Amino acid sequence: MSFFSRLYRGDIHWDFVGNRRRWFTLSAALILTSVLALSIRGLNLSVDFVGGTLVELPNPEGVSVGEVRGALTDIGFEGARVQTTGGGEGVRVQTEELDSDQQAVVVAAVAAVTGANPGDASAQSVGPTFGSQIAASALRALIVFLAVVAVFISIRLEWKMALVGLAALGHDVVLTAGVYALVGFEVTPATIIAVLTILGYSLYDTVVVFDKIVENVEERGERHTASAIVNMSMNQVFMRSVNTSLTSLLPIGSLLFVGSFLLGAATLREFALALFVGVTTGTYSSIFLAAPLLAVWKEREEHWQRVRRRMQRKGSEDEFAARILDVVPEAETEGLPVALTGAMPRPPKKRRRRR
Amino acid sequence: MRRRAAWVTLSTTVIVAWGLLIGTQLAGITPKLGLDLQGGFSVLLEAPEGTDRDVLDTAIEIIRSRIEALGGVQEPEISLAGERNIEVQLPGVADPERARKAVGTTGRLTFRPVLSVSPYGVSPLYVEAAAYQQSEEEAAAAQDGPESTTTTTTGESTTTTEETTTTGQTTTTTTVAEAEPIDLTPVLPEGITLCDLERNENGDLVVPLEDQPGCVDPETGFTLSDDPDKEAWYLNPEQDALGRVEAFHLGPALLLGTDLNDAQAGFSSRGGSGGFGVSSSGTGQWAVFLYFSSEGSAKFEAATEELSHYTYGDDRRRFAIVLDGEVVTAPSLASDIPAGQGIGGGSAIITVGGPTNPQQEAHDLAVVLRYGSLPVALQEQSVLSVSATLGSDSLRAGLIAGAGGLALVALVMLLYYRVLGAVNVVGLTVFGSIMLSVYAVLGETQGVSLTLAGVTGIIVAIGITSDSYVVYFERIKEDIHRGRSVRMAIDHAFRRSFRTIITADTVSFFGAVLLYVLAIGSVKGFALALGLATVTDVTVFYFFTRPAVALIARSRFGETGRLSIMGAAGKTPGVAQ
Repeated sequence: MSFFSRLYRGDIHWDFVGNRRRWFTLSAALILTSVLALSIRGLNLSVDFVGGTLVELPNPEGVSVGEVRGALTDIGFEGARVQTTGGGEGVRVQTEELDSDQQAVVVAAVAAVTGANPGDASAQSVGPTFGSQIAASALRALIVFLAVVAVFISIRLEWKMALVGLAALGHDVVLTAGVYALVGFEVTPATIIAVLTILGYSLYDTVVVFDKIVENVEERGERHTASAIVNMSMNQVFMRSVNTSLTSLLPIGSLLFVGSFLLGAATLREFALALFVGVTTGTYSSIFLAAPLLAVWKEREEHWQRVRRRMQRKGSEDEFAARILDVVPEAETEGLPVALTGAMPRPPKKRRRRR
Repeated sequence: MRRRAAWVTLSTTVIVAWGLLIGTQLAGITPKLGLDLQGGFSVLLEAPEGTDRDVLDTAIEIIRSRIEALGGVQEPEISLAGERNIEVQLPGVADPERARKAVGTTGRLTFRPVLSVSPYGVSPLYVEAAAYQQSEEEAAAAQDGPESTTTTTTGESTTTTEETTTTGQTTTTTTVAEAEPIDLTPVLPEGITLCDLERNENGDLVVPLEDQPGCVDPETGFTLSDDPDKEAWYLNPEQDALGRVEAFHLGPALLLGTDLNDAQAGFSSRGGSGGFGVSSSGTGQWAVFLYFSSEGSAKFEAATEELSHYTYGDDRRRFAIVLDGEVVTAPSLASDIPAGQGIGGGSAIITVGGPTNPQQEAHDLAVVLRYGSLPVALQEQSVLSVSATLGSDSLRAGLIAGAGGLALVALVMLLYYRVLGAVNVVGLTVFGSIMLSVYAVLGETQGVSLTLAGVTGIIVAIGITSDSYVVYFERIKEDIHRGRSVRMAIDHAFRRSFRTIITADTVSFFGAVLLYVLAIGSVKGFALALGLATVTDVTVFYFFTRPAVALIARSRFGETGRLSIMGAAGKTPGVAQ
């Protein structure tokens, strides 16, 4: 049977926990890159946060950024940031905050160069204090959200899962911010919202995975090691996670594509990039990061240590734990006879029905 | 689910969803587009901390009337946002700059001496011109030279004519106005011009009014462009106790709003005559207490001294307070102020003699004096103007992105889940119909508009909605792998996955509510779309997906063939077990 048809049937037996070092290294590298990008390049904050005036005009003449900048320098707006949008169809000029008269002057100057009708100008002007207000309200929303979710997971599952889930979340947010710093896309209020959406998405994904783990622990917590149960749960939810991500990513990708190549769709792009990166890392982190982290943490609990010792005393093979024991650090495996067969997990024969 | 019940539920859902869409379209109810999709202007204003709710409401009313005065705005939306922010949204406004000025400025307040008054709402300048024209005609009839007419057009004579006018004369002037516009040019004082009201093809003035300071409307004889240094003709639109609407000829401003430090409504012991006076203790009637700056104090004293030379009852003893081209009030100097003596000391009162609600009247006047027209100084927090072309480009981009996203999701679901994928595709059309109809109805009844952020929210929701299908279909596959029959599997899988979906959507829904409550502006639109989508998702899942899958399981697509549910689970003959 080919790899894809096995995948299609959900007939997979991958050792997620055993290969955790690979994933942890990858994540560490990604986080390092993001932090570096953030500290070196920084985020490109929109006028909504830093205050200022943003003028957008069509560019029928197709003039270059330099020409527009020259025209602005001539009328005394030297510090203006000029960009083209929608593949050269439009021009964006960002300056410090202007009143309506100054704004009219800028619009007229730019329109004269690009050959656009000044009436087609779109403009946004934001006072400096308002930006901090938006940022503050976003931060407040974030904190409330995280607190509520942490409590929710602690009640529904357990506090260790809440902590691990939040760690995975932090990972996603840092990576998303890192991508923004690298690509240089503007961070707008829309981006903040997208990030908030990601938080919900990423957490929900993690909850689904953890929910399955809890279900499996109830069913066979006495007979298998924590790592084995986590591994088995991961294999069960893997296809659901992949498919969900795929169906979410397709429309977002469509937004991103259209937003990048069509005029007037900057908002679409701002939403879409954050969502795209966030959904991808969210899926990745809940499967490859949160679950193995939880497994490692769980292995240290007394209950799971006892299960492991008992299984070794009996000399029985833990078919699910097989691979996992390999990579448990020396300190933890010391003195334990290693019982390995290398067998892959397979569905247990007896099953308790859940009502 | 039983076959019959499944059929009934399924067809009801589909008919209701599609019917709603067709119905709203036929009724001409389409989603109301936000100004970022149709072009327009929006501004977020902030009042100082601790501003009263009532004051904000007053400000909103004033802004609304100013916008209406602008004209050409379809549906201005002026609302309270947060605790002390006012959001003004003007979809489709043609001249955002003028709108921006109209919304934010506090208005220009001037104190002008009254030169003459016409009690019937007709500009004294017009009355003068009419009189001039009449005398010209008489002179022409008498074969007389035009020199003699100069004397008849002096301020004195017009004032007296008007004091004694009867209704009869007003009707004559009106009829003259209807017959043929009167030429105001001969009676214009020096320095005053007629406004050039010529418009270009866009409907904009060729010469903006700001560039013609002090100019007068050639038809009505009222000043259109305020210049404090020139004479002006203004109306007080409020009817007085006798039902008259006074029109004023005013001298150049003697004081500006900036000369006033404060104005408070209060109770004063002064009674009787009313008008401008000095405060004394005790109780009497409602009044507004004025407090001038040191500079304003001197100006006010000089101005009132000049007024005091006229006898009480003469209109020239009155002092008009003008705001944004309207006389707010024109009280006379009190009768007990002797000739040649101004009101000094930097403070004065205006007693209010309104018959109906003097307290309210005093309060309103104090507010106008204090803040110009707006009851608070509002600060622009963010201004956004979107051109109509950018708006339609955005709408187009949103629609393309949405259609593309839908097509891609449909394709993947069909390939992956075969016949179940078809359920997803039809389900998405049901979902889309419901969302569009809900937005159309909300736009019609609640004024909710669909913004670009909302469109994005809906597109994102396509993916989230598909998650419900994925969860359900994966469950079905899992159950089939465990050896259940297709029918057993779909029922069992439904119960399990419905619980998961409810949990998922509850989390998303509360996330959306949280966003909606905490966020400002475009974020709200996104949150609304997301919240609506989650509710719709659960509805569609229960009333569409469930019966649809149940019916398919009973059809020939249930168990046989690669396209069937069994096939989607990878259990078709020909596929290795």
